[in-house]
Amino acid sequence: MELQKFTYDNKITRNFAVATMVWGVVGLLVGLLVALQIFIPAMNFNFEFTTFGRTRPVHTNAVIFAFVGNAIFTAVYYSLQRLLKARMFSDLLGKIHFWGWQLIIVSAAVTLLAGYTTGKEYAELEWPIDIAITLVWVVFGINMFGTILQRRTTHIYVAIWFYIATWVTVAVLHIVNSMELPWSALKSYPVYAGIQDALVQWWYGHNAVAFFLTTPFLGLMYYFVPKAANRPVYSYKLSIVHFWSLIFIYIWAGPHHLLYNSLPDWLQALGTTFSVMLLAPSWGGMINGLLTLRGAWDKVRKDPILKMFVVGITAYGMSTFEGPLLSFKTVNAISHFTDWTVGHAHIGALGWNGLLTFGMTYWLIPRLYNTKLYSVKLANAHFWIATLAIIFYAVPLYIGGITQALMWKQFTPEGFLMYPNFLETVSQLIPMYAIRAFGGGLYLVGMLLLVYNVVKTVQAGSFVKEEAAEAPALKPQSKAKTGSESWHGFLERKPIRFLIWATIAILIGGIIEIVPTYLIKTNIPTISSVKPYTPLELHGRDIYIKEGCYNCHSQMIRPFRSETERYGEYSKAGEFVYDRPFQFGSKRTGPDLAREGVKTGRLYKPNAWHYNHFIDPQKMNEGSIMPPYPWLAKKDIDLKSTAPRIRAMMKLGVPYPENYEHKANDDLLKQAEEIAQNLREAGIETESTKEIIALIAYMQRLGTDIMKPVEEETVEAEDHD
Amino acid sequence: MSTLEEKQNDNKQPEVEIDEVTNVKLIGGHEFDGIRELENPLPPWLKYLFYATIVFSAAYLILLFVFKDDSIIQDLEYQKEMAEARGELEKEAPEEGVEAVAVVRTEEDILASGEKTFTKICAVCHGKFGEGLVGPNFTDEYWIHGGSREDQYKIIINGVIEKGMISYKNQLSETQIQDVISYIHSLKGTNPPNPKAPEGEKYVPEEKPEAEKNTTENAVDA
Repeated sequence: MELQKFTYDNKITRNFAVATMVWGVVGLLVGLLVALQIFIPAMNFNFEFTTFGRTRPVHTNAVIFAFVGNAIFTAVYYSLQRLLKARMFSDLLGKIHFWGWQLIIVSAAVTLLAGYTTGKEYAELEWPIDIAITLVWVVFGINMFGTILQRRTTHIYVAIWFYIATWVTVAVLHIVNSMELPWSALKSYPVYAGIQDALVQWWYGHNAVAFFLTTPFLGLMYYFVPKAANRPVYSYKLSIVHFWSLIFIYIWAGPHHLLYNSLPDWLQALGTTFSVMLLAPSWGGMINGLLTLRGAWDKVRKDPILKMFVVGITAYGMSTFEGPLLSFKTVNAISHFTDWTVGHAHIGALGWNGLLTFGMTYWLIPRLYNTKLYSVKLANAHFWIATLAIIFYAVPLYIGGITQALMWKQFTPEGFLMYPNFLETVSQLIPMYAIRAFGGGLYLVGMLLLVYNVVKTVQAGSFVKEEAAEAPALKPQSKAKTGSESWHGFLERKPIRFLIWATIAILIGGIIEIVPTYLIKTNIPTISSVKPYTPLELHGRDIYIKEGCYNCHSQMIRPFRSETERYGEYSKAGEFVYDRPFQFGSKRTGPDLAREGVKTGRLYKPNAWHYNHFIDPQKMNEGSIMPPYPWLAKKDIDLKSTAPRIRAMMKLGVPYPENYEHKANDDLLKQAEEIAQNLREAGIETESTKEIIALIAYMQRLGTDIMKPVEEETVEAEDHD
Repeated sequence: MSTLEEKQNDNKQPEVEIDEVTNVKLIGGHEFDGIRELENPLPPWLKYLFYATIVFSAAYLILLFVFKDDSIIQDLEYQKEMAEARGELEKEAPEEGVEAVAVVRTEEDILASGEKTFTKICAVCHGKFGEGLVGPNFTDEYWIHGGSREDQYKIIINGVIEKGMISYKNQLSETQIQDVISYIHSLKGTNPPNPKAPEGEKYVPEEKPEAEKNTTENAVDA
């Protein structure tokens, strides 16, 4: 057979690799900033654009979508060409993909700091960026499948299975979770409300972990580990079994982010059970990675790249063991809303994603530049620094998380909360936060070593922009399965069929979990006293979202004595039907606010307290770690946007009276004046049209609807939405 | 057609290939950029782990859907927890009374306990030193709702919700309330920095000296 000559495009790989390092430094730097902000309020600089509620989403988005995202594309654009013996389908699409993705990242950082956020974790970007992501993702898909279809190999390798599953699932997750109705050039409301919004969001959120942080990195692992170790993959059979079981089961596990929330029990049970069943498929990946190194362990001792792979894969094994553990309700009762979750997430991010990316970079750059790595010693130092950093990062968060949870739950013999003041439990964490920040700083130092090493390597080498390769053309394929061929072998040479099967596998779980919450009314029992927000409260709620309050405050009282004693009656599904987006939160750096407005409740504070507290939290609570929000008292409520907000809500089915958008501002001003008057009585001079008034109105509304004495709860089906 | 494909594979692997290091068969016809795959089976322990998690999950779901077990249905779980807590408190109540009589508490104990509660709960609105913040000043002689122990007890139990003072009936024990009242009384005339202007009416205590009154009331209470 005649050999065809062609070249691999290394430029696109190099560009993504550079972007990975640039965003890696940025993401870690912002990470260090938020790690300091969480226990030193002054680090918020008293400036709205650098306050934790806005910088924390910048950190998470930068690390996930910029650092890890670019690392995925580096791996895909390098390995895909070589595994398929084909150049990328289109250089132009590659360029659009690259620059489009970087533009999305920059616009994400700018809009998040400016306060444009959907208020849904890891999906904070607003609708124009959501559309841009979709388009770029489609471009990536065309380029990938174009290459697959032009391949010169009969079968597609396991790494590519994972790339395919990644592509289709991320597309589905992103599009479904980003369904929103725009009401301004940069703002929208989600089409889902309350429980459904939470369910869709965590179906997305959990599977962003699965299909953005896990499956593409398994693909990366399946290429770079055997290449770097020069060993065959441990078990082809295990590849098949763990691939299909992983993608099928993963998608179901989202509800474990909402255990003990007001989600129907059956959904929580699916979240728990599918998380438990995920253990073996996840470990299948770990084992196939680690055992591929059988016969190469002597190399591992010397080679920092393999060391990084080993610790990275082990971190994957640890966090995928911890994941099912945290999905048991008894464990989750303690871990949820604490720093334990943050520690868990960072074992995955710093260990698995970080170390695999670093290992890949050290392996790749010398090959792209046809030279040797500048310093193996430095890479070794990076390995040890990064490993130590992970320990310094995670251990204090585990200790802190468990300590705080136990303090929350502690009762005196007389039956009172031992630590009724939330702040007491926060003060315990300050040293832990300091050590964590040190760990994060250390990790950043390692990253800088990598950058230095890479720059030096690049300077010594010369870039191989086009890498010559040759392979025989793909022979005509039999359309049907041949006699001796296994079912899976057949599928491996039918990529479109493979895509369809993967799509089916990942759709089943989502459909079974999400659809019934719309069809079966008892899943979200209607509470007739729950009414839409007033225009002022709606503005206040949108300010709450804009300032990212959900990053530190939950609005979900779980059905535990320790929570109902502290916060009041536990949250009910029917209370959230007008919450677009839902704001349950996933971390209690500050106390839960679900019943903040209940006058007979445990947390009630007068308007004047809220006013002073927003402007200077430390004045009200000396040890408070909440940043100040003085600009809220200066900025005016955007009255012009009231009508579009109300109109959008009405379109989504919120039962405001007809034509209410025209009268809304009258009601708004009236309610605002009442609050301002009340503040004046307490000696605070303020205009009624300031943002702070709207936020106070929202605070005082929180959780009050079901406390209204007149109307009783009705569980019967009654149409809402 | 089909034979063509097979022949192609056959040509590549005329005989079974073995990985020299581990002595395991390599998958025939599979080679991707130099990467080969071994024919190892699934590790048995992993396979059984997978089966075990499936069995566990099935049992868990049956417990929920068929037996509606109250360890999984969270509303029932909550009711159980609350009932247990009530039961325990009732059991403990008499014993506690007996014990408490034996404890002799000095003035310092009372004030220390009062200060603890004050810092934890009251200071948020009344200032760290009782100088007043959103809530009124405790260090002057003026009281909005009366300055006697009885008046203050009522405020702590019932709250003054229109002013933002919530009820602490369910958050503080009887002793804690009495102690914090004693502590608040001890603040009078301490002249902390940034005092809030006096509010309400001047209160002149009855003849009985404050300290004496404290101790007697606490003794009775215990």
